[in-house]
Amino acid sequence: MRDAAYNIKKQIGHFLAPKVRLIIENLPDELLEKTEEIRLRHSRPLIIFWAGGESYLSEKGPVPTPREAYLTDGEDLEKTLDLLSNYSLYAYEEELRQGYLTIPGGHRVGLAGRAVLEGGRIKVLRDISSLNFRVARQVKGVGEKVLAFIFDRRMGRIMHSLIISPPQGGKTTLLRDLARLISEGTGILGQAGKKVGIVDERSEIAGCYQGIPQLDVGFRTDVLDACPKAEGVMLMLRSLSPQVIITDEIGRGEDVNAIEEAIHAGVSVIASAHGSSLEEICQRPILGGLLLKNYFERLIFLSNSRGPGTLEMIIEGERGLPLYSSRQGGE
Amino acid sequence: MYLKFWGASLIILAAYFFGHNISSMYRNRVCQLEELLLGLEMFLTEITYGLTPLPQAFINIGKKLKDPVGRLFSDTAWIMQKSRGLSARECWKKALKNNSGALEFFGGGLELLDRLGFIWGKGDKSGQLRQIALMQELLRQAHREAQQDYQKNEKMWKYLGLLGGLTLVIFLI
Repeated sequence: MRDAAYNIKKQIGHFLAPKVRLIIENLPDELLEKTEEIRLRHSRPLIIFWAGGESYLSEKGPVPTPREAYLTDGEDLEKTLDLLSNYSLYAYEEELRQGYLTIPGGHRVGLAGRAVLEGGRIKVLRDISSLNFRVARQVKGVGEKVLAFIFDRRMGRIMHSLIISPPQGGKTTLLRDLARLISEGTGILGQAGKKVGIVDERSEIAGCYQGIPQLDVGFRTDVLDACPKAEGVMLMLRSLSPQVIITDEIGRGEDVNAIEEAIHAGVSVIASAHGSSLEEICQRPILGGLLLKNYFERLIFLSNSRGPGTLEMIIEGERGLPLYSSRQGGE
Repeated sequence: MYLKFWGASLIILAAYFFGHNISSMYRNRVCQLEELLLGLEMFLTEITYGLTPLPQAFINIGKKLKDPVGRLFSDTAWIMQKSRGLSARECWKKALKNNSGALEFFGGGLELLDRLGFIWGKGDKSGQLRQIALMQELLRQAHREAQQDYQKNEKMWKYLGLLGGLTLVIFLI
């Protein structure tokens, strides 16, 4: 059995209500191999999604129309939630507030339901009516090409880099692989790996379950899971002496301040941000301000044009010189 | 003559124990409701200070409470760990069924026990605390009623058993 299919059946299947689990387990491996999401919605058809497509599922397997599909009911959702929370939703208050939880294997389960507010902010989600199982995939080796551009051979250091792409563009996958490569040391680094600190606010990079990384982020890597970026970066600097700090989706003022602190402390920073072009990023008040200060030495652009994680362009931060373009294919 | 004496004694003893058994049902109900209330109090502590997962909390509670209420909690935890795919409600119901012979929750108490199954592990912490507080209130009410029933019926059933046995013996002789 292939990796992803095995993971879905064993790791995700373990948390599904029996009826849904049976349907998923009976799917052909070829279909599971490309599955990215499994969607359970109250009184709605059971659907799986993959890049560029979706399948409605019934007890007999994939069916062409939603009418023939298995309708997920309240009991399926109740049982799945019981299994996900080990019958203890009260112990997952923070996850219910954030709207997701992580399961072994680093897979994430998105939740939707009725939001209970306190002081205008979400306090907790109740009456959960939708569950979205997002299959975690580690693509080893995707960072090798980028690493060659962000490693300063002369100084033996990693350059401050910002990875920019639209949602689902492969930022997190690239960050994870860069963490692994830098932590373990590769031929390109030509030396032992470096101490890496990951501030993983949404548990996406390392896919931690109960604080333990479920995905390979290297053996010299420390992960601060579910920790706000600003606080996490400062904590890393104070107590874990990282040489490289990796974090995702920066955008708030306090994130930027913490990143400035790290850069001034001599720690290399690799971060990611949503966006599709340099112009768009520059127009954003906080992120644009950070770019104007020329802290980032490398800007890496990804897209979905030839599948998630397509490396479009790498430019030199200060002067804006293109170092790599997918059209030219090299430096 | 000896035969008659032993026969009469046996009848009186059997009738006495029959009455005694019924009266002890009322006493057991009071004790078991007290144990259940104690169990809920322990559960509140488990989730307030430790956020202990439900199966582990039930194991802890089961160890501290007297049987059969303690066993009800332990069995529920065991079913949760062994039978993947059952909801908390179904696990509780199954454990209730396994222990129904020893539980004396007749009347309103039985319905309350059943209702408990619907709240275990449901909702966030504050929601769970509220639900448990409500159940505690209902169980306290049931406990008060059970105590009144016990005081009213305990002696009556003991005497009824003894007197019933004596009456039967007089009729037979």
